Order: sequence, then structure tokens, then C-alpha cells
Amino acid sequence: MRLLIVEDDPLLLRSLQEGLQEEQYAADTAADGLEGLAMAEAIDFDAVVLDGMLPGIDGWEFLRRLRETKSTPVLMLTARDAVPDRIRGLDAGADDYLTKPFDFDELLARLRALIRRNYGKSSNKIELGEVIIDLAARTIAQSGEVVSLTPREYTLVEYLALHRGVVISRTELYEHLFDESDDTLSNLLDVHVSNVRRKLGASFITTRRGHGYCIE
Amino acid sequence: MTHPFQSIRWRLLLWHSLISLALVVAIGLLANRLSSRDRFERIDHELRNHERSFFRSVFMPSPGKKSDGPPTLDEIRERLRSLGEPGQDPPEFRDLFKSDPAGTFIVVWDSDGTPLFISPNAPEGLSKPGNPEEGSTALVTRDDFREHLRVHSSGMVTVVARDISAEQNALNRFRLLLGLGGFAILLSAVAGGWWLAGRALRPIDTISQTATRIADGKLDERIDITGRDSELDQLAQVLNNTFEQLASAIEQQKRFTADASHELRTPLTIILTETQRALKGEREPEQYKQFITHCQTAAQRMRGIVDSLLLLARHDLADHEAASARCDLAQLAEQLAERMAPIAAARNVEIHCGLQSAPVTGRPDYLETLLQNLLSNALSHPPVGTPVTLRSFVRGNESVIEVHDAGPGIPAEHLPRLFDRFYRADPARSQVSGHSGLGLAIASSIARALGGRLEAESDPNKGTTFRLSLPFAENGSDFSGKSIRETAPTRSA
Repeated sequence: MRLLIVEDDPLLLRSLQEGLQEEQYAADTAADGLEGLAMAEAIDFDAVVLDGMLPGIDGWEFLRRLRETKSTPVLMLTARDAVPDRIRGLDAGADDYLTKPFDFDELLARLRALIRRNYGKSSNKIELGEVIIDLAARTIAQSGEVVSLTPREYTLVEYLALHRGVVISRTELYEHLFDESDDTLSNLLDVHVSNVRRKLGASFITTRRGHGYCIE
Repeated sequence: MTHPFQSIRWRLLLWHSLISLALVVAIGLLANRLSSRDRFERIDHELRNHERSFFRSVFMPSPGKKSDGPPTLDEIRERLRSLGEPGQDPPEFRDLFKSDPAGTFIVVWDSDGTPLFISPNAPEGLSKPGNPEEGSTALVTRDDFREHLRVHSSGMVTVVARDISAEQNALNRFRLLLGLGGFAILLSAVAGGWWLAGRALRPIDTISQTATRIADGKLDERIDITGRDSELDQLAQVLNNTFEQLASAIEQQKRFTADASHELRTPLTIILTETQRALKGEREPEQYKQFITHCQTAAQRMRGIVDSLLLLARHDLADHEAASARCDLAQLAEQLAERMAPIAAARNVEIHCGLQSAPVTGRPDYLETLLQNLLSNALSHPPVGTPVTLRSFVRGNESVIEVHDAGPGIPAEHLPRLFDRFYRADPARSQVSGHSGLGLAIASSIARALGGRLEAESDPNKGTTFRLSLPFAENGSDFSGKSIRETAPTRSA
């Protein structure tokens, strides 16, 4: 899952980015509204974490402009917890709202819910025959036994499972699994796919040559 | 309304009713007295007239008798005894008792108590009044009779009397009407008083309702003023002004608290996020070190904000009188410039000083804080390398110090709000440089507390000048004349 964090406080920005990367999100950052907006419009992020008070354009203006072209889920962070501010943010197109100071775990939970809802899943468990994916615990179980996957392998399965039955191109997978700071090798994706097949069965991920990958 | 008699309306009504009652009773008594006196005077007058006509007709010289001087006592007795025989009575005399059948009658007693004359219409069983004083007359009311009593020097007693029950009945009817009328007047006076008290107190009711709503938190409510400039209108005006001040103070307090908590939220978030991340799993010592460093930075930022808030709160209390001393702005600025030289050097800034003695009275530590805030703004906000000038001088009866930077200036729309707490012309940059947005607010409140003022001027071509003007203090300084000095940036690594 690839996220964009727009926050003007450099220390908080860095802290959020590192924290989210440790949770196996690909996280890009922007320190002002205009830069963030340009990135959000160019890349299909799975979610945007947006601070309200920003130089350039503020969070609410950011949302207004973003909503003209994209429906990327947006989690708004703000230091103001007055109800009118929250209403204003939600009305401008924010999908969720967190008031500073927040628990990092709550941020993670809200992001998971936001992404899951965006892909039309209302439960944290996705069942694919014998395989059950627990989005909250970030674990995959086959026939009741937890299968050990690397975080990257898990994100790959999670992304394909959320788009079950849809063929996902390699480019799209790259875009959602790696952020700008990752130096990705072109065959890294193939390595992850073959590892997943080894662990969950060869037929778990199907390859559509020239199109991409898919979980049936 | 609690106890009825604690309410002003009830107490007003009570007093009003008591006064009305006293007035009605007094008027009733007066009317009763006047009316009965009038009636009795008429009756008494009638009785006297009757007596006079009686005696005139009795002693009218009879045609057959020679009149020579007043009649003797015996003649009178004789004459009186002879009355009552219709043949001998003069006709006027007969008419005297006939014409008034309701009642005036006359009885004359001799001194020994034997009746000399009893008029035919006199009631039965009359007796001579006991021990009347000789030579006196008296008017008495006995039962239903009004009697005119005359005692002659000879001891003869004449009583002229009549039945007055009809008059007394009329008088009683009049008294009843008077009582009923008085009661009706009293009732309407009480009702009118109740209405009037209510009407007079209605504005107070409105005021108290409005005040209650304001106390419940509707701070923008105000008392309606009728514009008639009555006493209550003036009170309402005073209260409205008070509410206005309270509301603005509360509003300011609210905004300040909100701003302060807003400022503290971001560093708090950093500390929470960093500690929660650090506790998620085992890590390398280097990583822990980094988490702790981040937390420290955030905590330091919070300390800066809290310190500034406390400082500001202290200046708001303005208890500076105690530690006031004479000092010289030029001297303070010179020391400050020396102290800030390393920071200036780090940003490659030259500090030019044009300092002339400018003595003031005030707390040197506060003034130092003020000047330091101004100088550190001038050193950090404009682009790196922008020269900064400190000038102090005396103008009129004011000591002035100016901090000028030749930077690109502050946009005009920011100037009026520059001294507001937490106001930042550029929110992003100040976050990075760690300024809380309180520096200028503190400077301005110190200036006010010391009886001076702080102004800002900005022009994109000339740069920005902050000017502090304080009252000039005589003999205030031992600062040795002029000091024109340049602090060249010492380029250290």
C-alpha cells in the first residue's frame, strides 16, 4: 500500500514516514500543500495523510482541488479539535479525521479501515478458499495454519486480494508497493511472486502474460 | 420567585395597599363626620326654632290682656298649665304640633318636677332629666331622640325633642355606602398598584433573564434598550458594557487557550508517535538514540512554548513596579548585540549599531527579553545575510530604540496582526525554526506594561523596522556618550 503524507512539521513528517514504512507501507512525503497536491494528482495513492495547517495551500483547499480529479481516501490530521473544523474537513472531502495528538496505533487502524473500505471490503478478513488474510493482524493463514511471509510478500498478496479477480499490471503493483525512496530492481516483483507461490501454492497467483498478475 | 414578601413587587404592593387603606379610611371617617354633623346641626337648628316659636306663640300678648313688662314666673306657670285646652289655644299654637306629626314635641317641667306642659305628640313615660345645671342648655341624643334641654334660673326645665330614627337610618345607609365605596376604591388601588409595580419591574425582569442567558453561555446576548434614557436604561447600558468586556475577555482567553493547545499538539504528537514506534519491537541502540533525540527536540519545543506562555501571563499581570530601575536602552542593546554575535555570525548577518544614550525606567530583565525577541526575529526571519541595524536615540520626551533589517519586508496584510499571540506571517517557516509565535506578543505586552509602545513598519524596498518608544527618564544613565560600532560577522565553522 502506498501512502502520501503531507505535513509541514519536518520532525513529525519524518516520524510518520518512518513509522509507516516500518508497517510496510510505501510512504511518500510532501512538506507543503502545493507539492503534495501535485504528487497526489500524479500518483494513485492508496491513501493520503493530510495535515490541516499547511504552507502554500491549506488542507481544506488541498482537498477541494484534489476532489476535482481524484477520489483517493484522505485521512485528515489537525491540531484543532473544534467541531466546525471537523465538519469543514469532512465536508471538503476528507474520509476520516484525527486530532493531534493521536495514538500512532489509531492512525494505523484508521488507515487500514480507510483502505479496506475504499476497496469495498467491510471486514478485516478476506477469505480466498483455504487462504484467509487478516488485514488487522497482517497475517495469512492456510488451512488454519499461519504462513510465514515477509512484509513485502504480505503486501503483495494483500493488494492482489483486495482486487480479487482483477488483473493488476506490473506497473500498478510497483506503484503501490514501492515509494520513491525504494531502489527497486525490475525483477524484484517476480522474486516476491515466486516466493508467495512457493509458500501458498503455485496456482494462488495467476500470471496473465503481457497484462499482469491476478488472484482468482 | 421565592418567598412572596421577598419580592420587590409584593413588598411594593404591601406598602401601597397599606397607604391606600389609610387614605380610604381617613376619607371615609371625614365624610362620615361631616355628614352626621351637618344633619345634627340641621336638627338642632330646627329644635331651637321650634322652641322659639313655641314660646313666642305661648306668650304672644293675648288680645284681651294688657301688656306691661315681662310676665312673672307665676304668670308663666299659669299660662303653661292653661295650654292644651283647644278652645283657648291660639291657632298658630295648634298648628305648631300638627304641622310636624313626625315629631317635635315639647315638655316643660316645673322646678319641683311636676310637668307644666306636655305637648300632645309627646311619647309616654317622659320624666324630668336628673340634676340639670341651672341656666344651662344642652343638646343630647337619647335612644332615637334628639333633645334640646334648657334649664331656667327658676328651675323650670324645657325639653324640645324629636324622633331622629329616620335621619339615623339615612346616616347608616350613607355609612354603608361609604364603606362599600371605600372598599371598591381600595381594591382598584391595589389592583392598579400590582399592575404598576409589575410594569415598573418588567425591565428588571428582562435584564435578569438576559443576564441568566449570558451566564448560561450565550455571550453575544445583550439587554434591549428602549432608548428612553430612563434609570433602568442607564443600568442596562452599564450592564451591556460590562457584558461586552467580559465577553471579549472570555473570547480572548478561549482563543489563547485554543492557540496554546494548538501549538502544543504537534510536539506532543511527535513524542507519542516516536515512543509508540520505539516500543513496538526490539531495535538497535542507534535507533533508540534517534527516537530519544526526536522526543527531546519535541519536548524542548514544548518547553519554549510553555516558557513563553508563562512569561506572557506574568506581563499580563504587570507587577513590574517593584523591580523597576533606571537603565539605558543603548547599553542594553550593546550588550545584547555582543551576546547575539555568534547567532548573527552563523546566519552571516552583520549587526550595525548606532546607539545614543536613551535612558528609561523599567525592569532591565524585561527590556532585555523584549530587545532579544526583536533582534532574534530580525536575525532569523529575513534571508541569510540580511544586514541588521540597531539605533537608539531620544526624541522629544521619549527614548526610542529601533531594530531594522534590510530584508524583503512583511506583507502589509500581516502588519496589523503581527503582535497577536501565535500569529505567524509564514506558518511553515516558523515551525522549522522553532519560533513559537509568541515573541512579538511578549515584546508588545512588555512595552505596554512599561508605559511605552511597540510599532512595526515595513516596506518591500527598505525592509522592516520595529520601534520601541518608552518615556524618557532623566539622569538615567552612565552610558558614555555615543557608540557607533559595527559587529563584523566572525565567520566560524
